[in-house]
Amino acid sequence: MSAIHALAPGLGLDPSVIGGKAHGLVTLMRLGLPVPPGFVIPTAACRAFLDDGRLPGGELAEAVGELAAVTGRGFGDPARPLLVSVRSGAAVSMPGMMDTLLDVDSIDDLRAAVRRVFASWNAPRAVTYRELHDIPHDRGTAVVVQAMVHGHRDEHSGAGVAFSRDPSTGERRPYGDVLPRRQGDAVVSGTVPTLPLDTLAGREPAVWAALMDALDRVERHYRDVCHVEFTVESGRLWLLQVRPGGLSGHAAVRVAVDLVDEGLIDRATAVRRITPGHLRAAAVPRIRTAQILARGRGAGPGVATGRVAVTADGAVRMAAGGPVVLVRPHTSPLDLHGLAAATGIVTTTGGLTSHAAVVARSMGKPAVVGAAAVTVAADRIIVDGRSHPEGTVVTIDGTGGEIVLGVAETATADAGPHLARLLRWAAEAPVT
Amino acid sequence: MTDLRVLHTLRCMGFTDLDRVASVAGLPPEETESRLIDLAVEGLVTRTPGAFGGWGPTEAGKIEDARLVAEELDKAGARAAVTSAYEDFMVLNPELLDLSTAWHLRTVDGVAAANDHTDAGYDDRVLARFTDLDRRVSPVCAALAAALPRFGSYRTRLSTALARGDLAESTSSYHNVWFQLHEDLLVTLGIPR
Repeated sequence: MSAIHALAPGLGLDPSVIGGKAHGLVTLMRLGLPVPPGFVIPTAACRAFLDDGRLPGGELAEAVGELAAVTGRGFGDPARPLLVSVRSGAAVSMPGMMDTLLDVDSIDDLRAAVRRVFASWNAPRAVTYRELHDIPHDRGTAVVVQAMVHGHRDEHSGAGVAFSRDPSTGERRPYGDVLPRRQGDAVVSGTVPTLPLDTLAGREPAVWAALMDALDRVERHYRDVCHVEFTVESGRLWLLQVRPGGLSGHAAVRVAVDLVDEGLIDRATAVRRITPGHLRAAAVPRIRTAQILARGRGAGPGVATGRVAVTADGAVRMAAGGPVVLVRPHTSPLDLHGLAAATGIVTTTGGLTSHAAVVARSMGKPAVVGAAAVTVAADRIIVDGRSHPEGTVVTIDGTGGEIVLGVAETATADAGPHLARLLRWAAEAPVT
Repeated sequence: MTDLRVLHTLRCMGFTDLDRVASVAGLPPEETESRLIDLAVEGLVTRTPGAFGGWGPTEAGKIEDARLVAEELDKAGARAAVTSAYEDFMVLNPELLDLSTAWHLRTVDGVAAANDHTDAGYDDRVLARFTDLDRRVSPVCAALAAALPRFGSYRTRLSTALARGDLAESTSSYHNVWFQLHEDLLVTLGIPR
């Protein structure tokens, strides 16, 4: 049976052994950044469990004992209860495919939770994900167990996601979403309107400063743009995850070139990072404006301009007079004729695999989903307390998820200075 | 008496043309049109002219349909069976959405781009997972058909779409039939979307 490891700066094990999530947490600890105390059950234990159904017995109790000592808390202690999170973390990230359990408060529940996370490695959805992403099926997932931090504790608490650079444009400025008095799952759900990350600067200046410092340190360590998931508990910042990279198209090109200018990577590395896929994505037209009405997630690439319709019937009626952007809370089969009539589609809830997103892509239409700041009323949409009646002209960007008022100018990245420089470097020193 | 067969077919399909309603309802087009006209006289369905027009339920039609399917469900004593099948369906639903997305978009080197269907290996893998999902949804379809025979058409329609390789393309694609089954379950059980 493989050993369980406390999360500690000195833990020098590979992601294939402890999973990508634990590896990132160890990296954060090494950089002197705040990570809730915990331990990791390695991928080997998952393979053993899937083989014979057994969990590391005594070692698990021992690890919990150590965690209790470090935190000064205990399972079932009425005065200082120990609550833990139990999360999956495979060597290769499989976001959202496996189970996560929060606020686990006894050793029996912990065993059941670990069993559930291990078993979720073979959930059909996870199997499908691996099939489609060329991830081997025999590796198993590690499990990360950490003391809970609560984003909903008080008015100085919250949760968020922060990128070290704008993931849509690649510009060097922190970007992200934050939700006061909420746990992290609410931030990524796409159903609750989030606040822009920089609202933290005013609300919690000390947390903001700590977060900016953290983003700077992880960027310099990974020599790449990074994003972190964080929770603030009673004015104290905790980092729960870090991932480098992940931008695409124009944003990825810009970051690679900027990192060369900043001396973090050399030209050959920049050229190597930009694949033909990035170049193709960079050729998709994007909105060029700073005046964003609202932002969702880009679910069907391309830019569409049209008059807002808030019902499928309205979209059909209005489409006779010119292009229409259909804005709905979500879509059902009753909206299909409206989706067919519209030039672009916006939903205020739902994610990239929602019915609306699938239908929009099947029709080849630009779509933005999960624009949670937009409210759909009977004859208008409302954003930040301001009404925009049906018929208002908007432009949507199905790549970056932006919604802007009026007819927006578009541009492709092919003519941009960043891409030109990258292509020149590629020509000067061909990469084999 | 209100014709629930055609009304409910239309309710689950949304707006569509006569031939499609007829085909899904399993009736000749002339017969379907005659029934639709009767429903229109009752104020339960309406026909919108124009390029994106077609037949669809009115607000009153949606309310009456909800009332009638609830009555039908309870008369058949099928609420528990349909609820249980719905729960099983919802376990499979995220996977169907993942697969439909994978059919349209492919992530290469971390970049999602339109699947141009030039890589047969990738398409075969998506299709294989679709086929596997289809196998696992079969007991759900069978349980629904046993509870209420009108659910029987979904199994056939899903198979037809899969055999055609129409995973998420046309209005009668696998994804769209699944989407309508989802809607049907919500309407039948009176669950808001």
